[in-house]
Amino acid sequence: MSEKISISIDGKEIAAEAGANLLQVARDNGIDIPGLCYHRRITPTGACRLCVVKVEGQRGLLMSCTLQVAEGMVVTAFDRELQESRRHTVDYLLAEHNDHDDGTYHDELRILASEYDLLDPAQRKVPNIFRSIGYRVDDTSPVLTYDASKCIKCFRCIKGCDEIQGKNVLSFSERGIVSHIIAGFDIWSESECDGCGECIQLCPTGAIVEKPHRETIKLDQIEKRVKTTCPYCGVGCQIELLVQDGMIVRANGVEGVSPNDGRLCVKGRFGSDYVANRDRLKSPLIKRNGKFEEASWEEALALIASKFSDIKENHGRNALAGYASAKCTNEDNYIFQKFIRIAFGNNNIDYCTRLCHASTVVAMLRSIGDGAGSNSIEDFALTDCLFVTGNNIIETHPVTATYVKQGRAKGMKIIVCDPKWTPLVKYADIWLQPKLGTDVALLNGMIRQIIKDGNTDTNFISERIKGGMEAFEELKELVEKYTPQIVEHITTVPSDIMIRASRMYAEASTAMIATGMGLSQQVTGTHNVFSLINMMLVAGQIGREHCGINPPRGQNNVQGATDVGCSPVNYPGYIPVGDSDNRRRMAALWNVPYEELDAEPGLSTVEIMHAAHRGEVKGLYIMGENPMVTDPDTNHTREALEKLDFLVVQDIFETETTPYADVILPASSYAEKDGTFVNSDRRVLRVRKAVEMPGEAREDWRIIAEIAARMGYSLGSYSDAGEIFDELAQAVPMMRGISWKRIDHQGIQWPCHDPGHPGTSTLFLGKFNTPDGKAVLNPVDYTEQTEKPTAEYPFMLNSGRILYQYHSSTMSRRNKALNDFANEAYVLMNLVDADRLGLRDGDRVRLSNSRGELETILRESTEVAVGELFMPWHFSEAMVNNLTRAELDPYSRIAPFKLSACMVEKV
Amino acid sequence: MHLLVCGGTGCRASESAGIEAKLKSELEKRSLDQSVQVISTGCFGFCEKGPIVKVMPDNTFYTQVTPADAETIVAEHVVKGRRVESLIYTDPSSKEKVEESAKMGFYKKQLRIALRNCGFINPENVDEYIARDGYLALGNIITGMKPQEAIEIMKESGLRGRGGAGFPTGLKWDLTARTEADQKYVVCNADEGDPGAFMDRSILEGDPHSVLEAMAICGYCIGSDKGLIYIRAEYPLAIERLKIALSQAREYGLLGNNIMGTEFSFDIELRYGAGAFVCGEETALIHSMEGLRGEPTLKPPFPSESGYNGKPTNVNNVETLANIPVIYLKGAKWFSSIGTEKSKGTKVFALAGKINNVGLIEVPMGTTLREVIFEIGGGIKDGKKFKSVQTGGPSGGCLTEKHLDTPIDFDNLIAAGSMMGSGGMIVMDEDDCMVSMARYYLEFTVEESCGKCAPCRIGNKRLHELLDHICKGNGKLEDLDRLVNMSNVIKDTSLCGLGQSSPNPVLSTINNFKDEYDAHVTDKKCPAGQCRDLMEYFIIEENCVGCTACARVCPVAAITGERKEPHLINPAICIKCGACMEKCKFDAIIIQ
Repeated sequence: MSEKISISIDGKEIAAEAGANLLQVARDNGIDIPGLCYHRRITPTGACRLCVVKVEGQRGLLMSCTLQVAEGMVVTAFDRELQESRRHTVDYLLAEHNDHDDGTYHDELRILASEYDLLDPAQRKVPNIFRSIGYRVDDTSPVLTYDASKCIKCFRCIKGCDEIQGKNVLSFSERGIVSHIIAGFDIWSESECDGCGECIQLCPTGAIVEKPHRETIKLDQIEKRVKTTCPYCGVGCQIELLVQDGMIVRANGVEGVSPNDGRLCVKGRFGSDYVANRDRLKSPLIKRNGKFEEASWEEALALIASKFSDIKENHGRNALAGYASAKCTNEDNYIFQKFIRIAFGNNNIDYCTRLCHASTVVAMLRSIGDGAGSNSIEDFALTDCLFVTGNNIIETHPVTATYVKQGRAKGMKIIVCDPKWTPLVKYADIWLQPKLGTDVALLNGMIRQIIKDGNTDTNFISERIKGGMEAFEELKELVEKYTPQIVEHITTVPSDIMIRASRMYAEASTAMIATGMGLSQQVTGTHNVFSLINMMLVAGQIGREHCGINPPRGQNNVQGATDVGCSPVNYPGYIPVGDSDNRRRMAALWNVPYEELDAEPGLSTVEIMHAAHRGEVKGLYIMGENPMVTDPDTNHTREALEKLDFLVVQDIFETETTPYADVILPASSYAEKDGTFVNSDRRVLRVRKAVEMPGEAREDWRIIAEIAARMGYSLGSYSDAGEIFDELAQAVPMMRGISWKRIDHQGIQWPCHDPGHPGTSTLFLGKFNTPDGKAVLNPVDYTEQTEKPTAEYPFMLNSGRILYQYHSSTMSRRNKALNDFANEAYVLMNLVDADRLGLRDGDRVRLSNSRGELETILRESTEVAVGELFMPWHFSEAMVNNLTRAELDPYSRIAPFKLSACMVEKV
Repeated sequence: MHLLVCGGTGCRASESAGIEAKLKSELEKRSLDQSVQVISTGCFGFCEKGPIVKVMPDNTFYTQVTPADAETIVAEHVVKGRRVESLIYTDPSSKEKVEESAKMGFYKKQLRIALRNCGFINPENVDEYIARDGYLALGNIITGMKPQEAIEIMKESGLRGRGGAGFPTGLKWDLTARTEADQKYVVCNADEGDPGAFMDRSILEGDPHSVLEAMAICGYCIGSDKGLIYIRAEYPLAIERLKIALSQAREYGLLGNNIMGTEFSFDIELRYGAGAFVCGEETALIHSMEGLRGEPTLKPPFPSESGYNGKPTNVNNVETLANIPVIYLKGAKWFSSIGTEKSKGTKVFALAGKINNVGLIEVPMGTTLREVIFEIGGGIKDGKKFKSVQTGGPSGGCLTEKHLDTPIDFDNLIAAGSMMGSGGMIVMDEDDCMVSMARYYLEFTVEESCGKCAPCRIGNKRLHELLDHICKGNGKLEDLDRLVNMSNVIKDTSLCGLGQSSPNPVLSTINNFKDEYDAHVTDKKCPAGQCRDLMEYFIIEENCVGCTACARVCPVAAITGERKEPHLINPAICIKCGACMEKCKFDAIIIQ
């Protein structure tokens, strides 16, 4: 902590930290010195010259935004001369500025003009000249408009783009009075701007404004501003929704709170239009004679209850299963798992986490005792070295990536390990590009190198690893055969680069890992992560601040849904279903007989589908999932769904899955309900209702409780989500100290065991979460992938996500702004392959294998290696999962989405 | 025998390269090319009378030489030993021929320290620099002095930065030396941007090694092994000569690793600027070198703490550096004995305007403006009356008759309402309008303001507009107060030196020539007859013979009248081009 000092501003004694920014200190203490270019989140610029002050002992007028406070500083912030100077400067700014105000944005200059009595042009000393300057408007971006005539050249947008978002897209063109902002080389739409809108949020004068809802929004007609959590990825950005006429018309990043402190990505800012989309499900639909007909809730609920009860009675409780949802709140999911466990009476509950980080979580649980990220989002800017593997973090976790880029700007080293080029490579020191599916070989090679270089942390190994040096010796022996030459042969990564990477990681004072789908979505997913953790453990890069392993979560609440028990093997709080003490505790909490809680692990996501295919599962309840797009081997999934006796799909839109349902229930979106999400850094965040649900749609948890009641089970009586949260906080030990009230302002990171606990920013500082508190090495050998390119199917297809769309795109594709950026499926193929096959960029191609086929557009690219392909999987018209297979990782039951042999031909 | 031909940009523009070639071919013809050397030097300074050819060792100073004169010089002077009288300078007052430069009024009062080698040596030959004790100071320092000792000498010398601000050089070195870092930089600011200023260019063209040597000395003192020269790309000759100098210095082991066999290594790179005035400001200069937009940032941090690439950086101007080797050779005492109490040494000025001897001069600090203008400068052209002298370039101010006896130094000029600046000095006579002059400078500032801070970006634009109004006869009396008011706000609140000084031309002209402003706004007259919108062309009836010449030449048909009858100018149509007045043989057309 910095030294506390005392200064005086206009006679007021103020305590501050030495070196703090004077303008910020003044404002924090209620002395509102004007200033337009200063913003807490960016470095001071000193451009607007409004924050002038006088400091005793210093000559002339000084800019308070550029001064650091020091003991005994005597500051004058307001006197006649200063006010006169400010009035002049405001007058100047108004002179080059277009006064027209359409009421759609917050105008800080206008407020100042009013304060200095300059709103009326007659009061101004200098006449307006903006028209004569010929300022331009750049209207080319899909999401924003820049009007130079409103720009006061404060640098906030430029610095926001550079310093906060790390994108460096904006700059000035020309100089002097005609200078103006440009994106890239000039035209906004041709620049690298990805539409995050940081510049919009920072602009003090409405020179950069959003396009969506521009015609309708009127700030003075905003009914409410609701602080909530973004519904897209697992960063958990805090957003403020502006509601007008019952509709969300704008989203801003909430400043001053974690995890995002105001930042957003393009989806968070421009991705909420789907909420008011006319396709929303508005009433229950029952399939009659092959057609869906609107039905009353009463009818639908009664039908569902009776069908589920019948199946249970006739085929046993294991004939029922449910898919929970990473998109729903903890409260919805908690009630859902409670429903499965009480009303279905089994543990056949899972959801898409099985398809994303299941292997990571299994490996982490076994090795270090927790499947959640060990660090906080801020640590991504503070660590000395970041190893990013199989994780396109800039596109999939754009806001976490802003921290990475900030760290990079301060000298952090970055190693990217990915078979496909990702935007982070631009910022990276090293890019390791292993052949698809060879991660264990690469990581074992790195471990061997770390040992050879003497970069192992023997203290750490002896004290914090189970079996100490003995266990280490076992690993050492196993990795001995992974010489740089052999590793290069298997992975194609040049040995010198691999060696350099292993040294960079191990020799860094602190190092963190971010791992993603690239590693986890393989048949060897768990082995991959074991090997990754082994490397981390031998290098001792965990158990300290800014060290550890983090699997950034793909969905907004993938962390929370598992935390609250949507798992076939775990109860809330990761307590195994077999733990009878816990079941006893839960039976008491839920007020049900202990005996009725099934002690047997249930079926996992893909296993449920397999069981349905075999006719063993006959009734399925899907809440907010779209397995027709998200599950591997779509044809198999379709057959499975068709074989079900009874399928209920509860969602906000019709999806690729709903046609197979017997009943479709209209549910609520994130903006229509209260609750909580848990983000990737274990932060329990509030979700708040902003708008009303459409038609007869209902909150998910209420629907579930109604079905349970009709099946003869009580899930409890709750009047609102807050009551559910308070119960789940009791069920989940690591959330016990968190209450609805405590997270009102800002989320709290679990574990938080009691109400006085501040939450935990870094895990494993003292011990690991394993039974004996020690980490476990799990030496694993590289095994070749079972799926190999063949003469018939010579290409290996990789799949993944892009920034502008989201998962099965049910939500994202219902936003014009996002579609304007990217709304078309494609396959990336290396130029060499394309040349060889005589294919050209833009050609329509067919990809096929024994499991299925799809058609899409070819893009020639150097982003993928020769022999490999990449496709985004968001687009149902080119469903990647037609080609993937349902072969599972033996430990985690995850499917290998990243590796499918196929052929490509021109259509 | 040596024939020194001025190879500065000014004389080059007047075909001095042709003179050089012609001299060589004439010598060759006579097989004298072995015994007589033709050397292209840097600027002699006496640009008014260029191109200059100086014959050594007899010290004959030929002025306004043309390539055609080359044959005569060779045939007469070289072969026959007879001076070419027609090329010898004639003193305008005494009308006497003056053969030697040292005896000319232009040179008599000058003391050339920074320019000591300009016009004396071949800048493209390092041997000539070494022959004049070049690199001796560097050798002495790196073999026999600790960095701190050398810094102390610099402090004692009292040298202040010649770029304009006058910051003590030794202190700057000391600050940079004291900042700990793994890498430091020495930067030479060769981004000479004042209109009409060319002292830095002349030094680089005429004596590039003195700058390189000084940078190496600075590098040794502050603990840097890397120098950068930021030079504007529109100085191609200076760049060319720097490149030659750098490669020669490296070849001789005067730059590079282990200079003169010592542990000290130092090398220099060139960086080119694109000519933005603001890039002369050191933080903007550093940003420009880093590949960023050339815009100033706040100080602190000063470059001595965090400069190029965030490392401690010492930025010195070309002229400052050129002084340094000789200070170490002759001693701090010698240097501090020259000049005034707080401004030591000499200052180079680019003398321009309505003055007889336009050129580059170097005078001891403390020389009066009168000495500079009337002795060195040879007084006002065409016998007109002195009105004002503008010093300090666009950031400076206009001084008048009453300031003429002010001894020139940093502090006196500021006290008089102007500044030293980088050394521009523009002399104005009775025909110059001071309001237009202020407007001209503001036009420059508006063009060159980077636009970062509001007062400079908008304020200067508004000042310029007001001045334009006044020049066009649309000014009001209260505009004068507004000019002063706005000027003060701009000065007080601008971010960098550009904005903090840009209103100086306005304030100093209002202070010293209030009556001229009054005439513009109240009488709508321009006393100097410069402001076209305030003029009216008028035909004196009595003088007009009705020859129709004026009507025929008028491009807008503003003149009417019958043949042999007095003509009339319609002021509503007249565009004041002056063609009629030029054409009239009867002095019938006047300006009112």
